[in-house]
Amino acid sequence: MYPQDGPASFDIREFARTAQGSHRSAIDLARLVEEPLDSDSARLLRALRDGERATLHRMRDLLVTATHKDARVTAFLTTWMFERYWIADALDTVLDASPAARHLPATVGPARRVRAERRERRGPIRRSVVAGITGTRIVAEHMTTGLVDEWIGQAAYRRLAGASPAMESIVDPLIEVKKRHIRFLAEEAERLLTHSAGAQRVTRRALRRTAWPLGAVDRSHHERAFFERQVFGDGDGRAQARRIRDRIAALPGIGAGVAATVESRLLPEPHGGKSGAD
Amino acid sequence: MAFDIDKYTKNSTGVQWADLDFDAFERDPLPESTLRTLRYMCDIEYHTVCYLRDLLTTPSHDEPAVGAFMTMWNREEFWHGEALAAVLERHGVRVDFDELKATRLKLGWKDRLGTVKQTVTSRLVGHDFVAVHMAWGAANEWSATAAYQRLAALERHPVLAPLLRRIAQQETKHVAFYASQARERLAASRKARIVARLALEKAWGPVGSGVMPESEVTHVMKHLFAGADGRKLVRDIDAHIAKLPGMEGLRIVETSMDRRGIPAGDTV
Repeated sequence: MYPQDGPASFDIREFARTAQGSHRSAIDLARLVEEPLDSDSARLLRALRDGERATLHRMRDLLVTATHKDARVTAFLTTWMFERYWIADALDTVLDASPAARHLPATVGPARRVRAERRERRGPIRRSVVAGITGTRIVAEHMTTGLVDEWIGQAAYRRLAGASPAMESIVDPLIEVKKRHIRFLAEEAERLLTHSAGAQRVTRRALRRTAWPLGAVDRSHHERAFFERQVFGDGDGRAQARRIRDRIAALPGIGAGVAATVESRLLPEPHGGKSGAD
Repeated sequence: MAFDIDKYTKNSTGVQWADLDFDAFERDPLPESTLRTLRYMCDIEYHTVCYLRDLLTTPSHDEPAVGAFMTMWNREEFWHGEALAAVLERHGVRVDFDELKATRLKLGWKDRLGTVKQTVTSRLVGHDFVAVHMAWGAANEWSATAAYQRLAALERHPVLAPLLRRIAQQETKHVAFYASQARERLAASRKARIVARLALEKAWGPVGSGVMPESEVTHVMKHLFAGADGRKLVRDIDAHIAKLPGMEGLRIVETSMDRRGIPAGDTV
């Protein structure tokens, strides 16, 4: 499978060379008129677009830590950021062409306050200071949380692709672009976690306390509840969450307990709860 | 002069060199001093992400046009690194990511404090700090453009010169962005003009100083900017900077040359 401690096999330079830019010319807007998006799919699409748009914030949080010193990782991030920019652009194009997007509920609203997510509310100064103590082990944390986020994203994009054949033809190429991101992150996470109890400890703690998907901590409670319901709310969604749990549990030194915690936080609460739990 | 961000993002691409005959370097290899300068430029391009990080700790990237520019700019600079690494590789100099990592690790605690300090400072002056970054970026991009054009003229190599001109071409677009941003933001705020002037006067140094060993900075500056022709370019960069609102009379590039003892070659 993945190399244990040896040289990495993901070819960063090849990835950079073959980066995927604008998707606009491949998007069939006429087909979207024939098969217009329903309102829930438009709302999910908007949530995904917002996630891709928050990439620079993600970059900031990654780069104020020791992660910025790893030139292989920053080379990856440079292309990753570029590809995500164009994915957001593609989603924008669809959103602009979708009448359903004009009548969506506002994204703003009260935040969800959960004690476990407090660390995510840190600004760049505290992140930098705390990460200074954690040192280079934080790279393992970043690669792993990034990986889990991509797995969640994959489930969400697949859900979106299921909305209509027109959406499927637009979303499938985006999923393909993201598969390479997953490959890199999976390889790095595996490599960095193997043989380092410290990296495993730091990563376990982060996985337990992260609001999913990454960046959700800045979203309103009602948008987060919608995402959970829409992506993981039905039988198929629960199966997807279980798959993510199993993949997390299979990472070196993470364990079934942490994986189960992540799974439980992906699923919607039966009565729309999770608010005011601080 | 408005900068068309949509046009820029749409046309942004990694610098191309597949059509250039790199075998020419085997027949006509570059001299040691040029390789040393190229190595410096290559490292600096790869380290752009470190500058990006400094920019991201200010409120600048909340604006969509600035965020879009940073995404493309960071990638174009990475590709400049790749192109120069390919030239070096033909001369038996391998630039790998692990080695770059070692350079960044050496920066150590000082670098980490940098982010903290900068965020605190940028909080103090809020959005005005974006103007400081833009003015700083403009000074750096003007320097980079001049450096590439100068090396192309000095070296006149049939393959290196066109490659460097292609890189310089992209750098001029970066200049256009930073300078138009700086002009607008500095013009709008007296506080920004004061802070920017102070930052450039007190803290600016040639691109790469502080990251690369001082011996390398001096080599590159001497290689590119020694003598009357070099000094003229230096003064041109200063003249561009001095045209930004509130920056009248600044001579930061020339001062940094004098400080390093780079001969001006002025005839008396």
